[in-house]
Amino acid sequence: MKRLLIACAIILVCCFTASAVLAGGGGPPKNLIKGFFLKVNPDHTAIFKMDVTGEERTLKLSEEIKPEDIPMNRKVLVTLKTEGHEITNEVKRVSIMFIDIPASKVVALLIVGLIGGLLSGFIGSGGAFVLTPSMMSLGVPGAVAVASNMCHKFPKAMVGAYKRWKYGQADVKLGLVMAASAIIGVQIGIQIQKYILDHWGNAGSNLYVSLMFVIILVVVGTYVFYDAYKLQKGGKEAETTKIALALQKINLPPMIHFKQAGITISLWFTLPVGIATGMLAATIAVGGFIGVPGLIYVIGASAVVASATELVIAFVMGMWGSIQWGLSGLIDIRLTVLILAASLIGVQLGALGTTYVKDYMIKIVMGAVMLIVSVSRGAKIPAYLADLGLRPPLTPDTAALYDAISFWALVAALAAAGIIISVAMIRGMLQAKAEGL
Amino acid sequence: MEQKKSKGPLVIKTLIFGALSGFLYYLLFSNVDWVTTTYTMGGWHTVYPVGTALLFSFVHGTFASNFLSLLGIEPKGGH
Repeated sequence: MKRLLIACAIILVCCFTASAVLAGGGGPPKNLIKGFFLKVNPDHTAIFKMDVTGEERTLKLSEEIKPEDIPMNRKVLVTLKTEGHEITNEVKRVSIMFIDIPASKVVALLIVGLIGGLLSGFIGSGGAFVLTPSMMSLGVPGAVAVASNMCHKFPKAMVGAYKRWKYGQADVKLGLVMAASAIIGVQIGIQIQKYILDHWGNAGSNLYVSLMFVIILVVVGTYVFYDAYKLQKGGKEAETTKIALALQKINLPPMIHFKQAGITISLWFTLPVGIATGMLAATIAVGGFIGVPGLIYVIGASAVVASATELVIAFVMGMWGSIQWGLSGLIDIRLTVLILAASLIGVQLGALGTTYVKDYMIKIVMGAVMLIVSVSRGAKIPAYLADLGLRPPLTPDTAALYDAISFWALVAALAAAGIIISVAMIRGMLQAKAEGL
Repeated sequence: MEQKKSKGPLVIKTLIFGALSGFLYYLLFSNVDWVTTTYTMGGWHTVYPVGTALLFSFVHGTFASNFLSLLGIEPKGGH
């Protein structure tokens, strides 16, 4: 019976994956093309050769683009202007697809990969919220950064999930069941994004993403942090929430028993948590920040099991997302493997670190990172408000200041996570050594 | 002697997977032009980046696991 249920879950995930891939949900925006510029004409147009098909098109360059800024004979990503639903032939932005990677950028990718992996192994988050902006700050085009990180996320999550399953923490069945509904959530999140983009444009979309980021991270992060603080002060073990206990008592078939999590609950109550995870992943690329708290406070799993199981979800969704982006040919495998070089070490360190710490430490790290990252994202909001005409435009100095706050807050989030996890792990290891374990 | 005996196989495994991992990185970056062109052709070529990520995670992940064990960094209680 158990194997049948696991097999059904796997089949369900595969069906959703196939339907999502065929439906073309997710993946890069339609107004993004890649190829090579062959020639710039005196009339401010350019001959562009499409990648793969080799079709040559004449594109109009927008007024902001100078002919000398067009890279010739290098693979580029071109963002075309849109008018409502229509994609025009006018070039809005050109980005070189494959950045040069000198030693300094290799080191930066390794550091970010190591700490990002440590965070993933410890709290179950995929790490996109820090890895994607970090890559973009190195000059990687946004779509390539998202695609390359996605292709790094799923193998990292797979290694982390395997390790934590070995430690008896990950509930694979729960992870697969949640992943199936998370994929539905991604589709819903994409449709909401498309609606906002159509009605309020890029500025509206950016504002929506940032507001969602800040509201959810502040509300959930504060609750998680406060809960962890109470547990640390009180010295008691974490208890299952009243909501989770009440939901577990309701007999609404099909009831599923999740052995590792020690929970029996109706499938119907797992759906909202999974869908919310997917929606948030599609909106702000941080599904784990609702997934893990949802597993803890709504489903009733412990923080250790929730963070471990989230890695199973991250693996499934990451693989699905990688296929989507790979179909569009946007994965820069060099970036993927460079980040993997360090993150595969980090994720295993983070995973084994969870065996040395108390349950509430996972909540402390999660809450702290969520609150600091909300500052980073919140610093972007004034610029989006100005783009929408809801506040006066920012002066160049003010805009630079907000950008600096956003960047350094991300750095602070990574540093805080690295320090808290490392200190907690070392303390736990020394204590275990002293106790002869 | 027993300790040395038990570490021996671990050292060998770490070296083998470390060498394999290094070789894979060398192979990829020494053919970077072909890789960046072929891996981004889209369609069925998706199998290249996805397969490469899986291969690297297996080889390099195993090296990392053995390396951490060699350094004495193990989960509490041993697993």
